[in-house]
This record gives sequence, structure tokens and C-alpha cells, in this order.
Amino acid sequence: MSNSYTSDILKPFKLKTKQQELLIRVLILCLVYILAFITRLFSVLRYESMIHEFDPYFNYRTTLYVTQHGFYDFWNWFDYESWYPLGRIVGGTLYPGLMVTAALIYRLLHFLRFAVHIREVCVLTAPFFASNTTLVAYFFGKEIWDSGAGLVAAILIAVCPGYISRSVAGSYDNEGVAIFALLFTFYLFVKAVNTGSLAWGLASAFGYFYMVSAWGGYVFIINLIPLYVLVLLITGRYSMRLYVAYNCLYILGMLLAMQIRFVGFQHVQSGEHMAAMGVFFLMQVFYFLDWVKHMLSDTNLFQEFLRITVTCAVAVGGIALGVGMASGYISPWTGRFYSLLDPTYAKDHIPIIASVSEHQPTAWSSFMFDFHILLFLFPAGLYFCFKRLSDATIFIVMYGLTSMYFAGVMVRLILVATPAVCLISAIAVSATVKNLTVLLRSKTKVAQIGSTKGTSSAKASSKASLDQSQPFQKNGAMALLFGAFYLLSRYATHCTWVTSEAYSSPSIVLAARGAHGNRVIFDDYREAYFWLRQNTPLDAKVMSWWDYGYQITAMGNRTVIVDNNTWNNTHIATVGRAMSSYEDEAYEIIRSLDVDYVLVVFGGVTGYSSDDINKFLWMVRIGGGVFPVIKEPDYLVNGEYRIDKGAAPKMLNCLMYKLSYYRFGEMMTEYGKPPGYDRARGVEIGNKDIKLEHLEEAFTTSNWIVRIYKVKPPNNRW
Amino acid sequence: MADHFFTFSIITLSLFVVASSGGLESELVADLLTLQAESKSGVIHLDDRTVSKFLTSPRTPRPYSFLIFFDAANFHDKPELRLRELRREFEIVASSFITNHNSSNTKLFFGDIEFRESQSSFQLFGVNSLPHVRLVGPTAKSLKDDSDVMDQGDFSRLAESMAEFVQYRTKLTVGPIHRPPALSKMQLGLITALLLLCLPLVAKRIFAGETLLHDPKIWLSGAVFVYFFSVSGAMHNIIRKMPMFLVDRNDPNKLVFFYQGSGMQLGAEGFAVGFLYTVVGLLLAFVTHVLVYVKDATAKRLAMLFTLLVSFWAVKKVILLDNWKTGYGIHGFWPSSWN
Repeated sequence: MSNSYTSDILKPFKLKTKQQELLIRVLILCLVYILAFITRLFSVLRYESMIHEFDPYFNYRTTLYVTQHGFYDFWNWFDYESWYPLGRIVGGTLYPGLMVTAALIYRLLHFLRFAVHIREVCVLTAPFFASNTTLVAYFFGKEIWDSGAGLVAAILIAVCPGYISRSVAGSYDNEGVAIFALLFTFYLFVKAVNTGSLAWGLASAFGYFYMVSAWGGYVFIINLIPLYVLVLLITGRYSMRLYVAYNCLYILGMLLAMQIRFVGFQHVQSGEHMAAMGVFFLMQVFYFLDWVKHMLSDTNLFQEFLRITVTCAVAVGGIALGVGMASGYISPWTGRFYSLLDPTYAKDHIPIIASVSEHQPTAWSSFMFDFHILLFLFPAGLYFCFKRLSDATIFIVMYGLTSMYFAGVMVRLILVATPAVCLISAIAVSATVKNLTVLLRSKTKVAQIGSTKGTSSAKASSKASLDQSQPFQKNGAMALLFGAFYLLSRYATHCTWVTSEAYSSPSIVLAARGAHGNRVIFDDYREAYFWLRQNTPLDAKVMSWWDYGYQITAMGNRTVIVDNNTWNNTHIATVGRAMSSYEDEAYEIIRSLDVDYVLVVFGGVTGYSSDDINKFLWMVRIGGGVFPVIKEPDYLVNGEYRIDKGAAPKMLNCLMYKLSYYRFGEMMTEYGKPPGYDRARGVEIGNKDIKLEHLEEAFTTSNWIVRIYKVKPPNNRW
Repeated sequence: MADHFFTFSIITLSLFVVASSGGLESELVADLLTLQAESKSGVIHLDDRTVSKFLTSPRTPRPYSFLIFFDAANFHDKPELRLRELRREFEIVASSFITNHNSSNTKLFFGDIEFRESQSSFQLFGVNSLPHVRLVGPTAKSLKDDSDVMDQGDFSRLAESMAEFVQYRTKLTVGPIHRPPALSKMQLGLITALLLLCLPLVAKRIFAGETLLHDPKIWLSGAVFVYFFSVSGAMHNIIRKMPMFLVDRNDPNKLVFFYQGSGMQLGAEGFAVGFLYTVVGLLLAFVTHVLVYVKDATAKRLAMLFTLLVSFWAVKKVILLDNWKTGYGIHGFWPSSWN
């Protein structure tokens, strides 16, 4: 009785199957959206709401400037606090997308009367955009396969460690926004190719504009899309839809991208963008040929015409490129781009690129760490895509393969590969699970396994399924399904663990396990920067290795000599030379640069291994690259880098060694070890009696991680 | 008179000696120049006899320095010694030096000694490990103690750093290093000409739609290969020049295939794991797309069982290896009351 009563009430709410499906889908998407956001909050929970790493501090500083001074001042900002005495034209040397986005969100929140601090907005920008990326992944998956694959892709990308590594709360860097923009551009472009509509083409051009404004990685888009178009042309898939989509993206995207000052005329002049231009002209040739073919009825005549036209077009293109290169109108490829194509290039020629840890080549374990089971599913997904070739699947396959290759060259490019890997794996998961569940639910003996093959080959597969018995009985399907879900649950566990343990540390506050398993926090960096802010004159210049430049200007509010924007190799090499010279030689360089304080990072007390002594060889290499008086072998003993008694004499007396180990010889660091025992390198230091002549210790943080020295004025001459 | 004759003869004799020793030196240099010209790269091949002729017998100071590369043909196949590569780089330095000085500089000569044929020279120099490069200066009396050894740091950047070593020690400039281009101009011209000739033909076939490029199978295998190539860390092996495996330090008969520690890997290790990655994915594709067309039910079931087992094993193996390699113990975050 009561049962029928409730059903009567619910009747108006009763949904049809399609509506139910939609409801479930929307619900899942909402949950994924939230999941993507909250899984990135581990860093805030474990530490506090703060900006991480190095580059984000610059972004934070500039965002602060935008909100305080407005966009036009930001655009014309000449920053005299970095690269002293050169300064930096900020507006013309950065990608403003991230800062402008954060400033807009900040304005919007204030308009809605949410009085948040700009720092909170910056901290949460990356998770917010990661959430948006999951939505884009859903629509993208839906476009290339079906809505099931879209949902799976959204779930996979929400927690994929490869993406989380760059988008946890607090990692306020270009990539956080750029991956969203990248995927969005690709989605819009594929949509444009599929529909041939000018509106989608226009949208993809604007997506591209946003990407260009956000990250230098836009070069990937402007090379991948022409490559994709080229492959379509070669495989005979040229269509009017493609013509509309590509031309719209290229022309409008180019005009828009040129509005970004950092890109400007590079977009039509530099070698990296020439592929796009070449393909653009090739498209016109194709269109023209198509038209001629339409007009000519004689095929022989057309073949002849074709041969002449193609030869001429290629010859003209080649000559134009040659003339452009020779006259210097087209600039050659930059080192970074070149090092992707010929990966051994950077190691031999550009130490400043090779020195960055995220530019190292990727070992298999890093792939495993960042993708986990997606790696196993990827080849299956590839196979599925090839079984149902369309313009869209060709695109995702090409995106997957090129980005996979680049990920193999540089660790940080795993980030770019992540969306593609998630999408392709999602296709594998979704298609397999769909098959298996269909099999489980089917009551008749007729199997429906061929259904993954899609509509195009449905006929063939149904024909095949008629005379086949069950491929694997229901038990087999059950086992497979169980295996698949087990794997997926392992994936979720892995991702959560990796996020919380490996990718959520801000690297400006260090955490270690104490002797009793408790967490010890080292907050030395901020201690030092606030000391600088409070205790030094406003116009003091601080010299340190370039890694800490952004942090010193952002948190210490003092002028630095070099920073993480490594645009001037000579200037960095000068600092490297000063650090690796004897004190009196270094003093002259320091005086010539007008330096008041020297800051070094030292991990000997805490066992913090990425300190300046461990980076020192790079300073020598980079310094020696410009000033040949600095020679790497002088700092090595038999090719070995040592700091103990057997170290090279030059090493024991260079400025960096002295500043790091000043008075360290008096200190007991570990029980049962002699004084002056370096815990980061596990040896007793070789020079315990360090006297400083031209510098004096100004401040050392509580765990000795940052040490600041004051440069003494020159002696009186009489 | 006799006295007079005696002093005269002494003077002439000593004059003769001086002249002859000067003549000997210039003769040696001339010999070296011809030897140098005979050699393709300008590296003079030395053996026990020539070592004594050019290095031990002439009185110091000799008019030239000698930079000697110690080679051993039977170690050429050991990748960790990099002998072949270093020798090639050494030859590049030699030929660059010679071209930059128009073959007229007689202050420095480049030579190599092979272990098998001149073992006594190896002893003379006291060389007991390879790779080994030594600079014998003009004043070096004892070949073992007075000559300079080029240390590991100077090999690190190959020809460039070797040249720096030479400049630093001998005060002779090597000048720009001339590396042979990968393709000679002739070849390059031929290739472009061929390409241009082929182009219309290729274009025609493309339009007709009958090339290999239109076969998805080829694209698929290419795609899987690219995938395998990157996830197996082959790029890492190429850039870092990692060997396929190492020999265990404690037990030379044992080979080490797996390296513990993330961010590093050995060649064979990467390929093994990359293979496991690929196998699971391809088996899945096989089960869903090929197996369904097999008629025989038992064969189907057996294949299915086989696939399940292999996939299970491969996934388990990779996860185990990864945990071992990185040292991470991955665990879930369950509510603490569950424990």
C-alpha cells in the first residue's frame, strides 16, 4: 500500500532510460570535477597555503603587480630589481596568460564580494584549471570515441600523477593553465575538423591564442597540427572540412598570437613556425589542384598538370626557405627546440639547459611512476584507434606518439603527454569494459563482441558473430572485468599515494622524518628571505646562484643579479665565475657587480642534498663556458668530485666552498662523527679553518640551510 | 804541430757531432712528417721500434712533443671503455690540429700504440689501465714519470676537452675542431637530386592512394614501435650512453641487469620493462579483436587463459620491479580505524 503511494509521488520524477543515463553522466562529471580539485589540496593540508618552487614566485610577484597597478602598467613594466644592472623588460619577456587569468579571477571574486587575498587565488588557480581540464577531456573523449570513453578519460586525467605533478595547489606555474589550454585547443580543432564549421575553427584559434599567451609550449601545437594535416594529406584524407579548420586556425591564430609581445614577429620569422606556414601553402596547392581536377575531365592531362604543379610548388618553397635562412629573415631553430629533435645536442652545447633536473631524459621508472597502468593500456588503445580510423582518432594517435617521444627526451614533457595517454587509455578501458558488460548482460548465446568496431564495420562483425560461439564464457568475461577493475583501483591508490607523498611538497619548506617518526619542518628559506626584507637596506643587491633569484625578489624584496629567467648566459657565467674563484678574485667581480650580500644554500647540517655545493659543478661548467680561466678539472680529483681532505686545492679555497663551510669545522652534526661532518655528502670536510677576508657572515638560518654574507667595503688606501 | 792538429781535430769532431745531432733531429722530424702524411687522420702508428727511435733514443730536449693514445684492439668491444669513440675523437683532434697549421707544425705529433704488438712500450710508459692518453713533452727523460697523463675530466667533452688539454700543457693552439660532416657535399647533392626526381612519382602515387602509407598496419606497427622506444627509456640510454648491463664489481662473472635507484637505468633493463608494457596492451587488443574470430572453442579458451596469466604476471613483475627500483612502498590511505 505504502509502496504504491511513494511510487505515485515519484511518478512525475520518473525518468526515461536516456534521462537516467544523462543524470548519471552529469553526476559522475561533477564528482570528477570535485575530485580533481580536492586531490590537489594535499599540499595545503600538509603544509599551508603557499606558493611552491621557484618560478611560481615570479608569477606571483607579477600577478601582484597586475592587481595593484593595472594591466597597462604591467605590460610596460621595466623591472630593475632583477638582473642588476641590466634589468628586465617584464612585459616583453613573459607569457602573461597565467597572471591575467589569476587577476581576472581575483577581480571577479571581489566583484562578488568575496574578499580573498590574491595569494589564495594564485594557490588555487592550478587545481581549478585541472578541474576544467577534466571537463575538456570528457568532451574530447566523446568527440573521438563515445561518451563512455569521455567519462573514463575525465576520471583518469583527474588523478593522473603526470599532470598532478605540475598542478597541485600552490604550484602557480604556466603549465597549470597551459595544459588546459592545450587540450582545449586540440579539442576545438578536432571538433572543427569533424564538423568543418567556421565557428569551431574560430573557437580553436582563440583557444590557441590563450595557449600562446600562457606557455612557450604552444610551439608543440603549431608543429603538431601541421604535421597532423600533412599526414591526412598524405593518407588521402584531404577534405573541405580540414581546409576550413586549418586555415582558420592558422591565419587567425597567427594574427592573435602576434599580439603577445614575447612572441611577436617570431611567429612568422622563426624556424620553429615554418612548418605551419609550409603546410598552409601546401593546403592552398591542394585546394587549387582539387579545383583544377574538378574543371578538367581528362585524367591524363590532370596527372601531367599535377606533376608540374607539385614540383614547382616544392621548388619554390625550398628556394623561399633557403633565401629566408640565408638572408637571416627566418631565424634558425633555438637551442631548446633543437635539443628536442637531436636530444644529445643540449648535453654537449648548452650546459644551462642540461643543468636543469627536469630536462633530464626519462627512465622507465619515471614513466611507471607518472602513468602507472595507463602504460599497459596505451598500446591497446592505439590498436583500438587503428581499428576505427577516423580524422579524430588519427589526431589523438599522433598527439600521443609525438608527445610520448618528447616525454622520453625530457622528464618535464611527461606533462604534455599526459592528456593524450589518458585519452588513449580511456578508449581501451571503455571499449573493453563495454564489451565485457554487454557480454555479461546478454541472455542469448549470440555474442556481441564485435561492437567495439563501431558502426562502420558493424555489418562485418555481426556476420562474424553469427557463426561463433561465446569467445570466452561469462566466467571469462567476469574474470577479465574483475581484473580490469582491480587494476583501476590500484591506479587510484597509486595516484593518491604519489600525490600525497611525492608531489605535494612545496620545496621551499622542507620536511623530514625525525628520529621518532615525527615530521620535522625546515622553514629556513622563508626565514632567510624575511631577514633580508627586514634587515638590509632597500636598495641592497644580493648575489646568489640563479635558482633562488625569483624567490629573493618576491619574498625578500631585494635586487638580485641573476634569476631563473636565464636569458643572459654571460651574466650567469659571471656569477658562476665569482663563486668558483678564490676570494680575492671573486671580490673584484663582486665589487664590479655592486653586490652587497652573497647568499648560499647549504645542506651539510640537515642533509639537504640539492644545495649549492652539489650544484657547484654546474656553476663551474657554465662559468667555464664563457670564461675559459675556469676549468672543470681544477675542481676534480681524478675525475671525481670531492670535498674532503683529498679534494682539489682550488675546490677547497674557492668562494663557494668557503661560504658554505665557514665555521662549519667547529660544529658537531652527528653523534660519533668528527666535527665538520657533512651530512649531505657523508664526509668530513677538508678545510675546517676558513678565514674570510672581504666578506663577513651576516646571517645563518636556524638549520644552516641559507647563509648570507655581507660584502665589506674596500679597505682604506692609507 | 801535433798538438795543434789534435785541438783542430777535436774542434772539427765536436763540430761534426753538433752538426750530425742537428741533422739527426731534423731527420727525425722529417720522418715524422712523412709518417704523418701517410696516415689518413694524421695519427702516427707507433710500435716498440719507433718508440725507441723517436722517443727514448733522441737526447732531450727533443724538438717535438708527442701526444700518444694507448689502444687495445681486443678491448674495442667493451662499451664501458669507449675506446673506439675516444680514438675517433683523438683522430679528429689530430686532423684538426694538422689542418689548422697547414701540416707545417713540427712541435707536436699525435701517435697511437697498440697493446698486443707493443707490450714493452706499455710497460715503458707504465700504462696499466685504459683509456689512457699521455703527453710526452720535449724535456721528458723517463717516459713513465715525466710525461703528463690526460685525466678523465679531459675526455669528458671529447675532442673539445682534449684540445683544451693540449693547449694548456703545450701552449700550442689547436684551433677550431673540424668534425667530418655526417654526409659529404657530394652525397647531399645526390640525395636532394634523387628526392626531387622521386617527388612527382611519389605525389602521383599518393593521389592514387596506393602507397604503403595507406596501409594502417604499417602505421600501427610504427606507432607501437615509437611507444616502445619511449617508454623503454631508449632515449635515456642514447643521451646518457648507458651500457646494456654492468659487470658486478664484487663478482666479475655476474652481470648486473637492473640498476637500483630512480632516474637511472641500464639498457637491457629498459628494454625488458618496455617489452612487458607493450605485451600486456597488445594482448588485450588481441583478445578483443582477433580472438573472437577463432572458430575452435578450446583454442579460444586456452588462448584466453594464457593471456590472462601472462598479463597478470607482467603487471605484477613491473610493479614489483618499480617498487624495488624506486624504493617506494605504495599504500592506500584507509581510515585509521580499519587497521
